[in-house]
Amino acid sequence: MSVILTLVRKDIANFRRNRAAVVVTFLVPVVLIYIFGWVFGLNQKDTGPTGIRIAVVNASDNPAAAKLVDALKAEKAFNVITTTTNPDKSTRPLTEEDLRPMIEDDRFRYAVVIPADVVSTKTIGLHLKIFSDPRNDIESQTVNGLLQKTIFSNVPQLLGQSLQARAKDFLGGGRFTQFNRGIADTVASAFGGDPAAIQRTIESGSFGLDRLTTPAKPADPSLRRLDSTDPKAAAAPPAAPADDFFSRLIKIDDVQVVGKNVRSPAATRLVGGWAIMFLLFAVSGGATAYFDEANTGVFQRILSAPVSRAQLLWSRFFYGVLLGLIQLLSMFVAGKFMYGIDIFSHLGNLIAISIFAAAACSSFGMLIAALAPNAAAANGLSTLLVMVMSATGGAWFPMSFMPEFMQKIGKFTVVYWSMEGFLQVLWAQRTFVQLLPTLGILLGITLAVMFVAIWRLNKKAIFA
Amino acid sequence: MLSLRSVTKRYGALTALDGVSLDIARGEFFGLLGPNGAGKSTLMSLAAGLRTPDAGALTLDGIVISPADPASRIPMGLVPQSIALFQDLSAEQNLRVFGELYGLHGAELRTRIDESLAAVGLAERRKDPVKNFSGGMQRRLNLITALLHRPKLLLCDEPTVGVDPQSRNAIFDYLEKCNREGLTIIYSTHYMEEATRLCSRIGIIDHGKIHALGTLDELLTRLPFEEEIVFPVSPASDALAAQLRNNGELATLDGRHRFRPRPDFKLSAFYAQAEALGLPPRNFTAARPSLEAVFLHLTGRTLRE
Ligand SMILES: Nc1ncnc2c1ncn2[C@@H]1O[C@H](COP(=O)(O)OP(=O)(O)O)[C@@H](O)[C@H]1O
Ligand SMILES: [Mg+2]
Repeated sequence: MSVILTLVRKDIANFRRNRAAVVVTFLVPVVLIYIFGWVFGLNQKDTGPTGIRIAVVNASDNPAAAKLVDALKAEKAFNVITTTTNPDKSTRPLTEEDLRPMIEDDRFRYAVVIPADVVSTKTIGLHLKIFSDPRNDIESQTVNGLLQKTIFSNVPQLLGQSLQARAKDFLGGGRFTQFNRGIADTVASAFGGDPAAIQRTIESGSFGLDRLTTPAKPADPSLRRLDSTDPKAAAAPPAAPADDFFSRLIKIDDVQVVGKNVRSPAATRLVGGWAIMFLLFAVSGGATAYFDEANTGVFQRILSAPVSRAQLLWSRFFYGVLLGLIQLLSMFVAGKFMYGIDIFSHLGNLIAISIFAAAACSSFGMLIAALAPNAAAANGLSTLLVMVMSATGGAWFPMSFMPEFMQKIGKFTVVYWSMEGFLQVLWAQRTFVQLLPTLGILLGITLAVMFVAIWRLNKKAIFA
Repeated sequence: MLSLRSVTKRYGALTALDGVSLDIARGEFFGLLGPNGAGKSTLMSLAAGLRTPDAGALTLDGIVISPADPASRIPMGLVPQSIALFQDLSAEQNLRVFGELYGLHGAELRTRIDESLAAVGLAERRKDPVKNFSGGMQRRLNLITALLHRPKLLLCDEPTVGVDPQSRNAIFDYLEKCNREGLTIIYSTHYMEEATRLCSRIGIIDHGKIHALGTLDELLTRLPFEEEIVFPVSPASDALAAQLRNNGELATLDGRHRFRPRPDFKLSAFYAQAEALGLPPRNFTAARPSLEAVFLHLTGRTLRE
């Protein structure tokens, strides 16, 4: 028993001497709880996604349409864009023609068009158009839910106008006014009130329908989809009768701009993020191997041969790249066979982005080896780095689910840019030239990280 | 051949080597004898070009040895103190890796691998992963890996730690054979028996300094006594020790008194005193002093603390 106690005491003392292990042991859970807390809204009452860029084109002069735009602007999840910059730096309102190229450029991924005929005289109901690049499934579902909520709580007026317009068309101007006055008088005599005021209300399209829609929130707005190409799916499942009613009245043209002919959208969107995370884990295993070699004296033997330190370090880096590349490609091939992800029609680009992503990850393995004092610390440090980069870089959930400063941090991660690259190839089906900026950024990250890693490793005693 | 000039190496505040000067001649079997922490491995790693000295210089046949100059290391082979092998690879694969680092390849590399495996009795286990080898087998492989490229100077850093007597003898025989064939060897150890058996010249190192340098006989003649009497510590023998203090050197270490009589002291007098105190003669061993005694005389410590 006392032997066990002694050993346990020794282990505790050992652990306490290893400051990095302590930090990692306590910091990792805290950081992760923080991140998940943001996502699931544990940290604050006011939660949900923020800053999702959405373009709004209002081609209608209907005042209710303007109200809808204002409502979208007021929705804190959205960062509403209504103007664009001319080549001469002046700004002008966006038009429907601007949307496609801008979505393809990833300036924003969603756009709402309120056409001139939002209230048509030909049909009952409204007509809206939504453009989207649903590259991130969770995000696009959320956007759809929020759009639906905002539109539904603002359309009753538009809808009333629609009914009015139809009636006017049907009855003729003079008789229509007379009809409205008749209704107003009847309402006034039966329930009291000023007939003229009631008539104005009726003519503005408000039948008190708005009362029907409050509260008209679907049980889980993020799970409702309006962009479905299947009209039945767009209408169902209704959370309340009012929703069902409006769903049928509102006609939304959904235009998916990017990723329309991707064969297995769900898997394609996910595979990049997971692949890069596994890659990072594998590469950090390489950092541990570094310490094994340093400790067994293998490095001494290698360096006592005519081998320079730089050669030794770069050899480990390239080994990491090769390993990572093979790992990535095998994951994509598995994705192809399990989920039907289309990898062969852009194989060249996929290999290119995989090489650069593997290089960036391998450089992180070297950095970990350079910063950590021993194998245990390297393990901990790499777990921390991989988790944080995967979370902030968007491998697990959309970046818009995080506070904006963390979204900014996320853009500095290799995870973000690798995922960008994979999505550009597999989802947006970009050409090699269009891929170059992302490859350049990954290369930049690799070189910067390697620079720091080699500088540190050169200063550090390479073996005990 | 190898020459150290006032070489100093520090690790932070600790001075591991303190102004060491040393010349190793071609064909020598040089022993570096010192306890753990004496600075043996540090000296080896400097000689192997793994580290740069903080002061002084090391040259091999006039060429400065430096980590920045990989070519300066080619004439040397290092046997690291630890088993520096890839545990998951086979013996043959290990030899291949390190042979290739020295530019060996093809039939020549194959022949050398065959020869060296056979020389230390590992030919039959060539395909086995190193991790399945016994400690002695790993040590033998550790040694021949450093010799594959046929260096002129072999740096052997405690190559027999944790080795069974059989493997130890195999290693000794092999090293002696190589030395006879012209290989210069620097052999570090904290076993005086090894230095006594193998080395033509011995340097005694402690606390980063070389305290004595010479052949075994030269070192032994530095002692001011030719005989040493060792007897266990007990209340009665303590009294004897107190009486002996005036007749020579007396040291008490590891539960033993070590008495080195002055040349004019008569052993018969010693036994008379012992008998008077009622101590039986079988308690005493008298012998020609060993390197251990030399080390003790020079440093006041034993080789194995
Ligand atoms: N990498 C290192 N960092 C700090 N101190 C070291 C290092 N290597 C050795 N030392 C110290 O330097 C001294 C000499 O060590 P070393 O040369 O390994 O001795 P030996 O091989 O004779 O046992 C010892 O006190 C040891 O603790
Ligand atoms: Mg040593």
